[in-house]
Amino acid sequence: MAAINHPLGSPRRIPLPVPFARVNWLLVVAVGIVGLSAMLPVIQNSSATSAGFALQDLEGQQAQLEGEIRLLESDVARLTSLPRIERRALDIGLTPGPSPYFVTVSEPGPAPAKLPAEYLPGPVRQGDGTESWWRSLLRWLPLPD
Amino acid sequence: MTQQRVRGTRRVWLPAFFFGAFAVVIFGRLVQVQLIEHDIYAARAETERVGAETLNPPRGAILDRNGHVLATSVNTWDVYVNSRAWRDGADAESASQALAGLLQTDYDTGNIAAEQIRETVQQSKAVDVLVVRDIDYEVGLQVISAGIPGVILLSNTERVNPEGDTGASVLGFIGLDKSGLAGIEAQYEDVLRGKPGKAIYERDTTGEPIPFGHYIAMDPVRGQDLVLTIDRYLQGLVEERLAEAMEQHQARGGAIIVMNPKTGEILALATSPGLKYSTLDLSDASQMELLRNRAVTDLYEPGSVMKVITAAAAIDRGVVRPDTTYVDTGVVNVEGTILNNWRYESYGLQTMTGVLQHSINTGAVFMVDLLGAEVFHEYLEAFGFGKPTGIDLNGESGGIVRRPNDPDWSPVDLATQAFGQSISVTPMQMITAVAAVINGGELVRPHFVKAYVDSDGTRREVEPGVERRVISEEASATLRQMLTDVIGPASRLHPGKPDYYTAGGKSGTANVAVWNGYDDTQIASFVGFAPADDPEILVLVKLDENQDFETGTQAAAPVFAQLADEILQYLSIPPDDPVYVSGGR
Repeated sequence: MAAINHPLGSPRRIPLPVPFARVNWLLVVAVGIVGLSAMLPVIQNSSATSAGFALQDLEGQQAQLEGEIRLLESDVARLTSLPRIERRALDIGLTPGPSPYFVTVSEPGPAPAKLPAEYLPGPVRQGDGTESWWRSLLRWLPLPD
Repeated sequence: MTQQRVRGTRRVWLPAFFFGAFAVVIFGRLVQVQLIEHDIYAARAETERVGAETLNPPRGAILDRNGHVLATSVNTWDVYVNSRAWRDGADAESASQALAGLLQTDYDTGNIAAEQIRETVQQSKAVDVLVVRDIDYEVGLQVISAGIPGVILLSNTERVNPEGDTGASVLGFIGLDKSGLAGIEAQYEDVLRGKPGKAIYERDTTGEPIPFGHYIAMDPVRGQDLVLTIDRYLQGLVEERLAEAMEQHQARGGAIIVMNPKTGEILALATSPGLKYSTLDLSDASQMELLRNRAVTDLYEPGSVMKVITAAAAIDRGVVRPDTTYVDTGVVNVEGTILNNWRYESYGLQTMTGVLQHSINTGAVFMVDLLGAEVFHEYLEAFGFGKPTGIDLNGESGGIVRRPNDPDWSPVDLATQAFGQSISVTPMQMITAVAAVINGGELVRPHFVKAYVDSDGTRREVEPGVERRVISEEASATLRQMLTDVIGPASRLHPGKPDYYTAGGKSGTANVAVWNGYDDTQIASFVGFAPADDPEILVLVKLDENQDFETGTQAAAPVFAQLADEILQYLSIPPDDPVYVSGGR
């Protein structure tokens, strides 16, 4: 069979890529949201774990500082103990004093020695003697005494 | 075209049957696990996943009346070694050397201590072996930072007493489980210990807590601090004076109590033999008897100090006055039993004040005869004899009082009780009764705790507890004067007279009671107060079995006199003796 020489048809055109204008942005945003939502627990968990380690570290530091505070309190107690004061007084050449002389004077005595504040009653708040303005207003009202 | 139906064959049905049966079994098991036994498995899972830890709060401190620390707790570490980590000999040696070097248990090379540590670990069957207890906090931190393989440190606390042995017999001590075993530490265990908390945590597969899976289910409540009535300076002073007096008079033991007679506050209490932290060895059984505070647990016959109580009852009841007279012949016949004065002395015509001044036994019998057994015993009971005073120290004894309704009671018992025999009391009972005589007539409860301090610093004062009125204020004032007359003015040169202050008091010397009689040893005592008009302190001095056989006036009264001067000066109470007030000396 003889070949028939006939012209070829017009060549098929290769389709061009879809232009940007046709991107479905809604889909992209949705994918992004879904992706972020999926990542959020991971980020949150990671952050919580880091914070947890930091918290543990701080708790350790707190315990250590509390221990050191108690150690310092104990040191203060030891250094202010009577046997230690007596020993130190002897070291610097002090000797027990003679019997005291009691003299009656009209002046108030010296202030008492200061003591560890944490073990003493808190300071009593005392007013300055002036009356507040709203209380003075009450005086104008006919209230019973 | 028709489709031919495939008929099942054995090759199809048999596997299908087995797979089906397997699925049914699995499903059944799931129903059992997830539904029927859900609670059991949920609890098991919870146990695996969740751990709990007890949070021990710091033990409260014990302070003296001025806020100075007498006992407090500091953090320490217990060192454990994981024996599995030390299986390899070379590893164990290097780790033990490193540990011993940090612990400094051997001052030269550390070799011996390291060997001891290795031996301890090898000989133990436990996985985690305790090798050292209560190492210093700072040393522990060094050990932790060194990261020695197999070494584990667990936090602990240690009780420290900055004042050393001062007040040890009052304070007591705590055991390895950190609970009080004696003294104030035991008496106030609930207050000092606080309330343990609880921490819940989720753990990973290795058992380690998961960060953020940890929460405090219950916060620990720190133990309260106790502020005692004890003054550390006075406590040290009376302990020193007691030791000196015991040495001077070769006494086997003794006690000194200093009390505020108006409030019942114990300012100082020394006993000997007594507990000392510096020599305490709990493995020595003979030291167990040091754990009791003899001033509240041990009984003695008070002797002539009891005449104060007899006179107080007689004056209050109105059967005698201070100037009531009688004739002392030196002896008194009670139902055929002859009772003598001390050293068979006789004083002739005497007042009731004279009875106390000369400590006349027949005079005490005279007063108790006028009172009668029933009334006298009503007073004894009112003064608190025969039952504990209620002081806040463990192991208090109530004393022994023979009563008229006892089966072997005899009138001789009544007569001898009037001058302090046939009756056994504790030193604390005796000083509490005398406090009621001189403080206006009210029996106050002796106590050691002045205040509680909460962890937030809130302080709650302990109010003095008045048990009851025993004698009238007038009778109390009369007795104060009579007892002041016992010591008398400076010209009387009574050994119990303080140099700078007016004072009153009464001595007692009694043989030590043994089964069915008395032995040759004696107890010399003195109870005194100062200043005479408005007593700030009441002091009981008691010396047991003094080998020089000096009487209460000779041996114990001078101790009171010296202490009264020293204590009142320390308390900034100006001298009230007329000689000094007028500036004559």
